[in-house]
Amino acid sequence: MTPSAISTSALSRNFGTHQALAPLTLDVPTGEVFGLLGHNGAGKTTTVNLLTTLLEPTSGDAIIHGHSVKADAAGVRGSIGYLPENVQFYDNLTLLENLRFFARLSGLRRPDARIRDVLGFLDFTGHDNHRVGTFSKGMRQRVGIAQAVLHSPEVLFLDEPTSGLDPEGVRTLRETIVRLNHEFGMTIFMNTHLLSEVTKTCTSIGILNHGRLVHHDSLRNTLAAFPADESLEDIYFQLDSAAA
Amino acid sequence: MNDTWIVAEKELRDLRRDRLFALLIAFLGVATLVSVAVASADFRNQLDAYNVYVANLAQSGSTVTAAAPQLFPLKLLRGGIEYLEILGALFAIVLGYGTIAKEKYRGTLALFLSRPVSRFSFAGGKVLGLSIVWLGVVAALTALSLLAVVTIGHAPIQGIDVARLLIAGSFAWLYLVFWTALAVGLTALSSRLSTGLIVALVIWLAFVLVIPQIGDTMDPDNQVPGGLFATLQIQKSNELAVLAQFSAFDGIRNGLEVSSVTKHFERLTFAFLGIKDQYNQQPLSRVWAAMLPYAITLTAATAASVLFAALATTRRTLQRKQL
Amino acid sequence: MNTLLTSARHEVLCTLRARVALLLLVVFLGMVSLSSLIGWITNTTVTRVYAKILADGLTTAPNPFAGVSSLYYSRNSVIYVVLIGALMAIILGVQATLRDRKSATTDLVLSRPVNIVLRLAGQFLGLGAVIASVLAASTVISWASISVIVGAPLGIDPTLRLVGFAALSWVLMMIFALLGMLTGLYSRKETTALLVPFVIWSAVAFVLPQIGTAARPVALLNPVAALAPSDSTSFDLVGAITGPFAITEQFKRAASIVLRDDSVTGSPLASIVLLVSVLIAIAWVVVVTPRRTLRSGLNE
Repeated sequence: MTPSAISTSALSRNFGTHQALAPLTLDVPTGEVFGLLGHNGAGKTTTVNLLTTLLEPTSGDAIIHGHSVKADAAGVRGSIGYLPENVQFYDNLTLLENLRFFARLSGLRRPDARIRDVLGFLDFTGHDNHRVGTFSKGMRQRVGIAQAVLHSPEVLFLDEPTSGLDPEGVRTLRETIVRLNHEFGMTIFMNTHLLSEVTKTCTSIGILNHGRLVHHDSLRNTLAAFPADESLEDIYFQLDSAAA
Repeated sequence: MNDTWIVAEKELRDLRRDRLFALLIAFLGVATLVSVAVASADFRNQLDAYNVYVANLAQSGSTVTAAAPQLFPLKLLRGGIEYLEILGALFAIVLGYGTIAKEKYRGTLALFLSRPVSRFSFAGGKVLGLSIVWLGVVAALTALSLLAVVTIGHAPIQGIDVARLLIAGSFAWLYLVFWTALAVGLTALSSRLSTGLIVALVIWLAFVLVIPQIGDTMDPDNQVPGGLFATLQIQKSNELAVLAQFSAFDGIRNGLEVSSVTKHFERLTFAFLGIKDQYNQQPLSRVWAAMLPYAITLTAATAASVLFAALATTRRTLQRKQL
Repeated sequence: MNTLLTSARHEVLCTLRARVALLLLVVFLGMVSLSSLIGWITNTTVTRVYAKILADGLTTAPNPFAGVSSLYYSRNSVIYVVLIGALMAIILGVQATLRDRKSATTDLVLSRPVNIVLRLAGQFLGLGAVIASVLAASTVISWASISVIVGAPLGIDPTLRLVGFAALSWVLMMIFALLGMLTGLYSRKETTALLVPFVIWSAVAFVLPQIGTAARPVALLNPVAALAPSDSTSFDLVGAITGPFAITEQFKRAASIVLRDDSVTGSPLASIVLLVSVLIAIAWVVVVTPRRTLRSGLNE
């Protein structure tokens, strides 16, 4: 059996009296591309923030690549990469200067060679000394991916990675996610609204509804459980409304 | 005009609920009270020292009489005026910056500009709204000053004093509108919000603090604690005669000082309030005659600043991409 | 250690890349350069005024400037550190901590194995390095300009005193830089983050000394100390309470003694200890900022 890259046990988070995430128990095996679906305010970003240690859980725990988010947050941070929604950078610094900073914070002492490797992998060369402030949204997103994978993390968290991208940007990003998973065996946890992306990139999915996980299975099993002529979109709305 | 008034009205309503604004004005009020309290305590100390001196003289059998220190009520406001010079200008900049910055940041600007509004209604409304706000603030500070002089300073106030205070208040209003309008224009022009504020602050630093400070420290009489001429026991008439020999140096020093709008405001208010000995207890007509050039330059500077704000706050500058 | 140095290096880079910061640095260096010139022109004129008074037989008192030290020419710098230096430090400090919150890079930083204390201490060190470099440049300018004015290179003692003054200036500027960092971390609006330390600065530089010594705000900008009130018992009492908080006045006092200004006497030690204590205290408050504060968003 494949060991879990992400394993949560009754992980929850309240903001005052509002329960943003009900106790969540979830396993994402190593090497999976997991897509977390849900409407706005369902608790997707809260889940990612908890798993990346940006938020502390109200109760429960999560183990990321063997490290507890509660007991060993530093260990978690050392083994993950994170791309937030609408990623931004230090606009006055060049691409290289931005990436050097994040690479060093991740413990890489002489990161330039690794940065060039990653930029080559992302087919994003020739911009090293350009200021990030001049980059388009799509270019920034690639810088975002680069900073997230510089230190070769075991698990990569992507929060709405296709938000605001044009169709070409979406396709490039999708190909990158698939390559990262196939070529490096990276486990990927992705929040998304785009159901079409899920069918093209994810191996398993979860659906959150008002902070509760209402569905979790492999993509193949999920699709097989419904009539063949139903799209993932139809299935999503059926599962989501059934939970509501 | 209608668009302009709508913008101004909204600005007034907005500021009425702004806690930061209330805090700043309260700070200015407290600083004014403190300065009156300190000045009157200082005067009482002088009076006590005088009484001790007179008692000692009497004990030693001397018949020499020394002039008692005299209290001129409006002189107690010197510190308050200086706070207005320094902090009032700073707060005026912050208010001017804030009024444009919040529209740019919140994205409400696009909603406004998508309406059929005239070319100057945005800038005009903003400056008009802030001018009304400053009028209210100056009126409140004038009343507070008057109250502080009477209650804390225990000084009698006459009708002429109120008139002098009102004239000084008008100049304070012009001075504050100058800085507010300047900040509005600079913030509209800057592609990065904080740059507008920081550039305005650098101008404030240079013209409110540094240039007057250079002029002040270049004054020969300010080179020794207590004054050079007093230390050397030189009479006032002789002092003027000596200084007349150094008119070129004093011309440069004065030139530096008058390049700052703050000095114009200071000279005007110090003259009308009688803080400057030369104008103390002088009839208003004489003070007006002497101060007319400064009154004209301060008014012109304010008008220029308002014009700058109106011209700089265009659709193009407002919609410039925020870096 | 890696986080500390990386953050420090990053801070230096970001500060130098921001044009506004450079503008402030140029203004500061320009004014320090000018201050020796202003001091020299004024001193020359006043000496001529005295000579004229003496020649006219109006006084027999000795020239009050006969024995002034060569460092007399840099005394205006003391005021420029309080005015321009402190305000520059506030802006640099605010930008340092607000930068991550404005560009939402905080989450990128915090999702890495980064110790918050080291991260903030690194930013503090980076700012410290920038400010130290500016002060080093201003010291070299002062040394050179005074040497030109007096016609000979400054000796060991005045040189060391200039260096001591730079060190004191660094402490004062870092206090205000940390104050800026603090409001940059805790404020919900950028305007508040910049304004609150400015208001605190004005209260410390003008209001507190006025309460304690009856000195008027503008008089506090003159490097020559105002005369104490005639019977200052009441001000002595208040001054004893407000004095330790009036850190700009403590700085002016210590700097004047270090620069051998004869109008200020005594030991600068108490003022120096006070300034360093304030620096340590505020540095501690900054570095213990919780993670959730770093992540808090801005409303403007």
